[in-house]
Amino acid sequence: MNGGQMNEGHANGGQANGGPKGDPLPENTAATPGAAPAALPTAVRYRIRHSTSYQYSQNVAVCQNQLRMQPISGGNVICHRSTLTVVPEPSSRDEHFDYFGNRVQAFSIESKHRSLSVVVESQVTIRQPRVVAESASPPWETCLKPVGQRGGLPLRDEHRYASPRVAPGRPFADYARESFGDGRGIVEAALDLTRRIHHDFAYDTTATDVNTTTERAFELRAGVCQDFAHVQIACLRSIGLAARYVSGYLRTVPPPGKPRLVGADESHAWLEVFAGEDLGWLGLDPTNACLVGMDHIPVSLGRDYGDVSPMRGVVLGGGTHTLKVSVDVAPAQEVAGSKDASPPPNSPPASQPQPAGESSESGNPATANPAPSPDPPTSQSQSQSQPPPSG
Amino acid sequence: MNTTLQSGSLWTPESLAAGGFDERIFPDGTVRPSWQLVSDQLAALGPEEMLDRSASIEQFIRENGITFHADQSQGAVPSDEDEETANRPWQLSVIPFVMGSAEWNVLSDGLVQRTHLLERILVDLLGEQRLIREGVVPGELFWANPVFSRAYHGLEGTPQKLHVTATDLVRGVDGLWRVTGDRTRAPSGLGYLLENRIVMGRVLPKLIRRSNTRRLASFFESLREHLQSLAPQDRSNPRVALLAPPSGSYREFEDTYLARYLGLTLVRGSDLAIRGGCLHVKTLGGLLPIQVLWRHISDRRCDPLELDPASNQGVAGLLRCVRHGRVAVVNAIGSVLAQTPGLMPYLEQANQFFFGGSLQLPSLKSYWLGDPQQRAYVLDHLDSLVLRSAYTVSSQEPIDTTRLSQQERAEFLQRIEADPGQFLAQERLAYSSTPVWIGGQVKPQRVALRNFQLIRGDRVEVLPGALARVGNDEMELSRSPVSGQRTLDCWVTSDVPLGKHKSLLPSGRNAIKLRRIGDELPSRVAEHLYWLGRYVERAEGISRLMRTTLSRLSGEETTEMAAELPRLTYALASLGQIEPGYAVDSFVAGLPNLDQVLPASVLDPEQPRGLIRTMQSVMHNATAVRDRLSNDAYRILRRAFRELNQPASASGRAVSEGMGYGEAIERVGTLIVDLLAFAGVTSEGFVRTHSWQFLELGRRIERADQTCDLLLTMLCPATENGKAICEAALEITDSLMTYRSRYLNLVRLAPVVDLIVTDDTNPRSVLYQLDRISDVIEKLPAVEGPVRLDAIERIVLDMQYQVKLADPYQLCQTSDDGTLEQLGKLLRGIAGRLPELSDAISAHYLIHTAATQQLTGTGR
Repeated sequence: MNGGQMNEGHANGGQANGGPKGDPLPENTAATPGAAPAALPTAVRYRIRHSTSYQYSQNVAVCQNQLRMQPISGGNVICHRSTLTVVPEPSSRDEHFDYFGNRVQAFSIESKHRSLSVVVESQVTIRQPRVVAESASPPWETCLKPVGQRGGLPLRDEHRYASPRVAPGRPFADYARESFGDGRGIVEAALDLTRRIHHDFAYDTTATDVNTTTERAFELRAGVCQDFAHVQIACLRSIGLAARYVSGYLRTVPPPGKPRLVGADESHAWLEVFAGEDLGWLGLDPTNACLVGMDHIPVSLGRDYGDVSPMRGVVLGGGTHTLKVSVDVAPAQEVAGSKDASPPPNSPPASQPQPAGESSESGNPATANPAPSPDPPTSQSQSQSQPPPSG
Repeated sequence: MNTTLQSGSLWTPESLAAGGFDERIFPDGTVRPSWQLVSDQLAALGPEEMLDRSASIEQFIRENGITFHADQSQGAVPSDEDEETANRPWQLSVIPFVMGSAEWNVLSDGLVQRTHLLERILVDLLGEQRLIREGVVPGELFWANPVFSRAYHGLEGTPQKLHVTATDLVRGVDGLWRVTGDRTRAPSGLGYLLENRIVMGRVLPKLIRRSNTRRLASFFESLREHLQSLAPQDRSNPRVALLAPPSGSYREFEDTYLARYLGLTLVRGSDLAIRGGCLHVKTLGGLLPIQVLWRHISDRRCDPLELDPASNQGVAGLLRCVRHGRVAVVNAIGSVLAQTPGLMPYLEQANQFFFGGSLQLPSLKSYWLGDPQQRAYVLDHLDSLVLRSAYTVSSQEPIDTTRLSQQERAEFLQRIEADPGQFLAQERLAYSSTPVWIGGQVKPQRVALRNFQLIRGDRVEVLPGALARVGNDEMELSRSPVSGQRTLDCWVTSDVPLGKHKSLLPSGRNAIKLRRIGDELPSRVAEHLYWLGRYVERAEGISRLMRTTLSRLSGEETTEMAAELPRLTYALASLGQIEPGYAVDSFVAGLPNLDQVLPASVLDPEQPRGLIRTMQSVMHNATAVRDRLSNDAYRILRRAFRELNQPASASGRAVSEGMGYGEAIERVGTLIVDLLAFAGVTSEGFVRTHSWQFLELGRRIERADQTCDLLLTMLCPATENGKAICEAALEITDSLMTYRSRYLNLVRLAPVVDLIVTDDTNPRSVLYQLDRISDVIEKLPAVEGPVRLDAIERIVLDMQYQVKLADPYQLCQTSDDGTLEQLGKLLRGIAGRLPELSDAISAHYLIHTAATQQLTGTGR
């Protein structure tokens, strides 16, 4: 159970400005109330399919797009392969890494078209993060002091301050302080805040939209994962802590006896708080009142939603459009716990001992995986079940 | 030595600063050496002559249309959406601001050093951020700063980020110059400064030579060379474009002026397109590549895809273009960070960090409230400081806490406490004073300078002069340099004659290929010109119909009224000038009498197709293409619009009844005269380029359309009394004089139809319009478009043939029901094809833009 993808880990993938990248510090810490049960898996391999399609009522002359949908290796994430398929064929296509280390795909279509289909298929392994006891973390006040110049850009201290969608403020600080009593451990306090937000806020897809301000969602005490994450980030920043936004996917667990629904999953969002030099970034999911673990598949991170929105596009023409989105997160393989499978968290990904059967090579074809073939997206009949809230 | 006394009435005691630093004289009353010559010579001219020269300046400025966007409110940031801008003449005062060479050289060295520093800081902020990592500058200043869009970071582009910068300077009582602010984004004022110098060169030609004033031409020459040298491809003959904000921006005049002077293509966001990864301008000749973009819009507006999605000032995909090195953007996107006011307290340290040594040119003492120590100092000395935004340069006046009420002060302190990092405090400084010619005498006023720098690799060139602004107090000068205060030309003078002479007029050294036609007319401009032509013509048509109708209504021959009035009413309704019900016989009974409706409807802005709305459309299109219209043409339209919109005078009638007939006739009559003047100016003053062709096309298509409509409503229906109706039709089409010269008072239908429809020598006839349309279309550029050009030609030819083959006598044969069926058929045919022609022209040449929309990949 562990935080989002660690961009500092992408020593070779980041910006071209030559700034020091790579963070030698341990990152990706999670905590459990007790010791981890030995029999649980220590890594899960997933196949993810994220399909977005637009139908237009009139011709589109030109479209320009940016995607942040492809995971990259780093932290507790190993990206085996990730493919992007765009129809119609783009006139040009390229990629770069943004300020936060996210992989950005850019493409343009310069011929007339009436529909656009973007499909990203990825295979990733999410490893079990290091586990710390909830009760035994350092006092949260120790996480307030600037960590200074170490590490790649962005510096971690940057996440203590206001961002376009998350401005700290008095009401957030007051709310946060109920969890952050003097001297309380950072993990315990942060998790308490996560649970309180889950308890106090209604999960309501109609209460907010993608542009609802954090202040408004806080007043409403309602929203979806984006709002919950923004609220908790605002609370943490308001008392001086560094917090960042993570977008990705959540593995949804069907009710007992029911098959998993294909395509019913959604994009998800959560956050991470900087828990000090030793613990690094701690992932928290206020939508589900839990620490971030192997069910969370991070893709992008930033200061708030605005930095990580999975798709941005500008189209010329097109009239009105209809949009269909489908996300499918299928666990392909679970790796049982063993001593070898739990590598030290601070090793660079390329040299990490891998869980059995895993390859760290990004783009390595799935055939390298000797494990039983992953269950493909099946079409068996199934009753509608309610997945846990994500989105 | 004491010229103050010798020179009598110019340098009066009132001309001296009451205290503080006087730029012209020492405290003992003697004239500073740098001012000696100018001071003496101006005194020798004497007040009479000064008045004359001052008047010449005003005249020159008026004639050249040098305007600024009036900044009406309390330093409000000029809105981008202001439609009809209140342009006022630029203010230039006749006495220059003089600086000697020795002092200039010191100042110039300081500016060079500071410019190097800002460039180094910017490269660092957009790259490694060592300043932040090593604690030279607090990270919070940028991390919490809403101006810092993270997309600016790591954009490769050109290695050099800053190219043209400006520095705002003032002098304190101690005689030292200090920087009040830096401008690194897209500093304004360069065009005005240039214009100031050209005006002064005309008004005081001998003095400017005798004082050995340093010339500005080489700076602009250097700027042009530099911009061209930045082209990533096609370096021999790159296209350099100046990207201006939408029409109506506060810097519209100077953008237009600079583009013309430097030979740049003036573009707006809607002119740009990115295809194949490269930036292009959309022109009549198709897409043409742009290699260098000097952008005068803000950083965040450059690209709606990666920056502000609401912006239509830039173009989607520009950042990607920059990332791939396909276009050089000047100044680099992200340059706004170097002008962050909150940096000022840290510049000294930054200079130590990067270069060692201290700054030669100090900043105004500044304190950033995000720093606890500086904040504590500021809170202790609040009333001796002024506060402004630490994050953004704004044209708002700084906050002076001594002017706040008790409650305002408490609220302001709360704002500081809630978010101290957004504020910067600066010392109050009494600025120096300089003599200014105001209202026929010399008065001392506070002065501030804006200096300009050009960075060319390792070398910084400082423009040898400045835009000097003067005002009554320091607060007034803290606003934008184009907010409308008086300005002075700043002369850097020398005791020794200057070296080689460079003219401000473009030199003949760089041979320019002679051209007769410009293909580079952006499609947007062509579209505005086309609609300008159509609306001007429509306004004239409406006015003529109104005038004829009004004169009939007010006439005395009541017996004859019955004959043509119903037809005129019908025509008015068909043109959308009055309730459409007036065109339906059975409805008319229920409607108020026409004489109650008509005068008022002349000025009714609620009529969507009425005169007021039509003239608004005229102004909208004219303003958008101001750089293509002569100043006279634009002034005529402005005047016409102003006169039309004047409130009705109450003379003769109760105010509630609005305008009387007399006044209404007068009003539309004046408008007709103005519109004719505009037509004259444009036909005489326009080179026959594509600009003129589109204006002409618009006019001719509209006039043909109007004439067909008019005849359909007036002549075609069955009627008892043809004579009065025919005369009215002749009058409205401005053909009555011609008719009478040919046929005297003998009014018959066939000659009337011939004159208005089939006579190709009458400039008002339908055929004449079609012939002109045909002429223009032949000369339009052949480009691949959605419509084949010969399709457009075919439509025109078809209409021409129909009219040419028509026999006026046959057209005038009445059918059984008394209507002129043949004439109606012909006119309906033409009127039906004209919109087809208009659409084909639009599709072929004009419409390259459609509405854009955002994709988010989420249904929420």
